[in-house]
Amino acid sequence: MRLQVVGCSHRNAALELRERLAFSAPQSELALDRLHDDFPEVEAVLLSTCNRVELYTATASAASPDCRQLAEFLASFHALPLDQVAPNLYQHCDQDAVRHLFQVASSLDSMVVGEPQILAQVKAAYHLATERNCCGPLLHAAFQAALKAARRIASETAIQQRRVSIPSVAVADFARQIFERFDDKRTLVIGGGEMAEETLRYLQDEGVHDLTVINRNFERARLLAERWRGRALPWEQLLPALASADVVISTTGAEEPVVRLGQFLEIEPDRSEKPLFILDLAVPRDFQPSIGDRPNVFLYAIDDLQAACQRNRLDRDKEMPAAERIIDQEIERFLADMHQRASGPIIQRLQEGWQKPKEEELRRLLNKLPQLDDHARDEIRQAFDRLVNKLMHPPLDAIRDESRNGIPDTLLEALSRLFRLKD
Amino acid sequence: MLSGVSVVCFAASYGVALALEITRLLFRSGVRGAVMIGFAGAGLLAHSIFLYHRAVSTQGPPLSSQRDWYLLAAWVLAAIYLYLTCFHRRAAFGVFLLPLVLGLIGAGVWLADPEPFAREPASRMWGTVHGVSILLAVVAILVGFATGLMYLHQAWRLKRKIPPTLGLRLPSLEWLQQANLRAVVISVAMLGLGLLSGIILNLIRRPEALGLGHLPWDDPIVICTWATFVWLLISLLVSAFYRRARQGTRVAYFTLVTFLLLVIALAVGFGLQTEHGGRREAAPSDTSALGILRDVAGEVSRDGAVP
Repeated sequence: MRLQVVGCSHRNAALELRERLAFSAPQSELALDRLHDDFPEVEAVLLSTCNRVELYTATASAASPDCRQLAEFLASFHALPLDQVAPNLYQHCDQDAVRHLFQVASSLDSMVVGEPQILAQVKAAYHLATERNCCGPLLHAAFQAALKAARRIASETAIQQRRVSIPSVAVADFARQIFERFDDKRTLVIGGGEMAEETLRYLQDEGVHDLTVINRNFERARLLAERWRGRALPWEQLLPALASADVVISTTGAEEPVVRLGQFLEIEPDRSEKPLFILDLAVPRDFQPSIGDRPNVFLYAIDDLQAACQRNRLDRDKEMPAAERIIDQEIERFLADMHQRASGPIIQRLQEGWQKPKEEELRRLLNKLPQLDDHARDEIRQAFDRLVNKLMHPPLDAIRDESRNGIPDTLLEALSRLFRLKD
Repeated sequence: MLSGVSVVCFAASYGVALALEITRLLFRSGVRGAVMIGFAGAGLLAHSIFLYHRAVSTQGPPLSSQRDWYLLAAWVLAAIYLYLTCFHRRAAFGVFLLPLVLGLIGAGVWLADPEPFAREPASRMWGTVHGVSILLAVVAILVGFATGLMYLHQAWRLKRKIPPTLGLRLPSLEWLQQANLRAVVISVAMLGLGLLSGIILNLIRRPEALGLGHLPWDDPIVICTWATFVWLLISLLVSAFYRRARQGTRVAYFTLVTFLLLVIALAVGFGLQTEHGGRREAAPSDTSALGILRDVAGEVSRDGAVP
């Protein structure tokens, strides 16, 4: 049995290479089909996200494609020179590959540790491989165990609940604590910028679709609104738009606050004190801080969010040892299962080897005693079964014990020779 | 065999569930949620069995004493807690609701009158409507109180920009505000029905008609209940016509004041001379905690339960 992973991630490869090696969904299907044609005996799962491209393979025999062959496969699929791809790939085998898979699925190997999307991406990759008939018993077992480990880490540690990026903290730790749903909320973006767009991405995941963009430069507002399927308004409409908004993201480059307390007080009666979540990501700030003291106004500046991120980062780091412990436990369990599975054929032959003489002896005995009624026959049959089970118990127990430390090759060989268990 | 269930069984189960809820503040656990729901569910089951045995073994109408009324209110509140916990696994509802459940059980065991309310067949139907609607109103007020507290805590945290503590996760302000408003609407409706049925009940028992069970209109409990109802009605009308008053913090404060009025009404029921519920001047009895426990135990034994 050989399990391996070959690939690259944000840890060892530049974004340019990851982009060139990335697989779209149709490309993943094609790649899996091609891999299946090239290596029919090999089980494979292809995981491609913006931060990693990994090819997991497994074979029951030792004859498995090596790292170079898989690198050639990846390079040729994307028509890239091998010498550009191969040096940037890593390879993990057997127990290391299992550990790597468990860490990836649990988001411990992610760029932002604890981000929850990776679990869905691992699941999707596994399901695609299953659909394309590329997943066999080994990878089924490995991915099921990885998903179990990830679920345990998600429920038994706080790693996934501690967001560490400003937009995710803003949405998960604050906006979602104010609003139950976002599909009926009005979002106003003042200005624009990378962080505003990142926050919008999180908000759209939560269901935001009523979006208004305001910028001093109307053309920029229009472009951003177009990108996010919102509407653009001229700068003069800022206060009326603020009066009807529920969520505000502000990131202008203004030197002075764009909304002062006096201006806010003007529109406050129109708001009827409905909750207002303001995310002021601008430096210097766009909203005068005293606006945050108004009832039902929840104003967060970048410093507030950074402080929350830092607290979360410290809390999350404290959870790492617990997560690693879970990974260790699940790896141990998985490997014991795998080792026991490797003993399966011997156990099966051992059982068959005992069943055959038992049936023969039983038949002979029952033929000699035709006067026995059905009840007596059943009793004798059960006694023989019990006897065989008791005789089988010590060797099976020994296999189970030895499997904890690896495939019990010596023991299996000894059993094969003792009981003449040949194919 | 099931008749061996006593108050201690379900009170202890709720107590363990509450202790587990509190441990949310201290450490994380993957199995705590299931264990907590298990204890609360076992408590609710034992509570149901206990009430069922009380209902079938009591002489006269089922569950018709002040004590039963409190235990039934605790049962409804515990069922609401279990429902909310099952559907909002991460929210710490128990920290707010379970003390109220245990408080109702405690009041039922130590303070409430175990004697059945005085009833006559003509008023039985109205008596039941009165008892049930007041019970549901009280539960709604308690739920409103708990969600009001949660709202204020959540709003306080968000105003101070503190990320949610993992142990004390609460629902969003929007959810809490809606739950709070619904609790007010239900409590107004139920209290209104309770008062209306109470008036009809009192008219049926006119002193000149029957002479027994008639309640003076200036009975302290009646006055307190009317005060609570008027307060709730005003809160609701203000919320309906004045949009700002519908916003969370105000509704939360409304429900806190309502709870205060409710506590006063219940305290009046325990502390002052009242004829409400057919309560009569009782002979001096052992009012120590042990005496009351003995009393409860004896009563439960008479009903077939092993204390």
